[in-house]
Amino acid sequence: MADSAKAANQATGFVFARTFAAPREDVWNAFTQPEHLKHWWGTPGSSVEIARHELKPGGLFHYRMQFPDGRSMWARFVFREIAAPERLVWLNGFSDEQGGLTRNPWVPGFPLETLNTVTFAEQDGKTLITVTVIPFDASDEETRIFAGGINGMKMGFGATFKLLADYLAQRS
Amino acid sequence: MQDPLSSTFAALADPTRRAILSRLALGETSVTELAEPFRMSMPAVSKHLKVLERAGLIARGREAQWRPCRLEAGPLREAAGWIEEYRRFWEQSLDRLDDYLRRIQSARTKSKTNGSGKKPSNTKSKE
Repeated sequence: MADSAKAANQATGFVFARTFAAPREDVWNAFTQPEHLKHWWGTPGSSVEIARHELKPGGLFHYRMQFPDGRSMWARFVFREIAAPERLVWLNGFSDEQGGLTRNPWVPGFPLETLNTVTFAEQDGKTLITVTVIPFDASDEETRIFAGGINGMKMGFGATFKLLADYLAQRS
Repeated sequence: MQDPLSSTFAALADPTRRAILSRLALGETSVTELAEPFRMSMPAVSKHLKVLERAGLIARGREAQWRPCRLEAGPLREAAGWIEEYRRFWEQSLDRLDDYLRRIQSARTKSKTNGSGKKPSNTKSKE
């Protein structure tokens, strides 16, 4: 990928932060230990079934997410950097039952994998985490599609345009 | 051939096109009016409109003189829905994490107050 495209990636990454009223060690464990992950990873009502969890660089976290409506899907992390309790980096992607990488089922043009970085900082007994998601090893077109989705999110596109679109659909 | 969501997002990647959509959210308008705030030539604006039209995000009227542009509901709703879901996945996961960590903390506090008191006996717990 060209340097300019790389720079654009940095600028268009999905970045957000959150503070938890818990010591850093606990937040780190919640992100990295399968018995903790099960309790929170995923939207409410969904459950996680873990097929494999190897916390080491190059290690695979392979899991199936079961949704309340009966749908389920496989996804995976490939860990890149594990610097307890400060920094966790993994490649995030969808997968098949065997753990092989698959395309995003809703947006096949999305990058196959994204690079997810979470940093953990302790502040007065609380923990600030910062999550950054950027495309990984993506084509220019995949990067554009990612940027469109992310920037759409930044402009509040999700919430406001959904209302508008619902309204337009009602009228037509 | 690109799937519909991918082409919608590719169209959204450009800041001018996002600004055009924001303007159209206020109501339909002519191309001339759309072009005004962007200091762009009409051909340049037309090019952006074509991309948006191909992605199914806008439609153009048939009137010969001013072909008004307006937003189209379908693909817009798909894209907005997906974006919402993506954001929600993280947000709701972290909400759950917050609850979970609070449960762990309070379980620990309870076992501390019930268990062997490590604190000096002269400092009374506020609880």
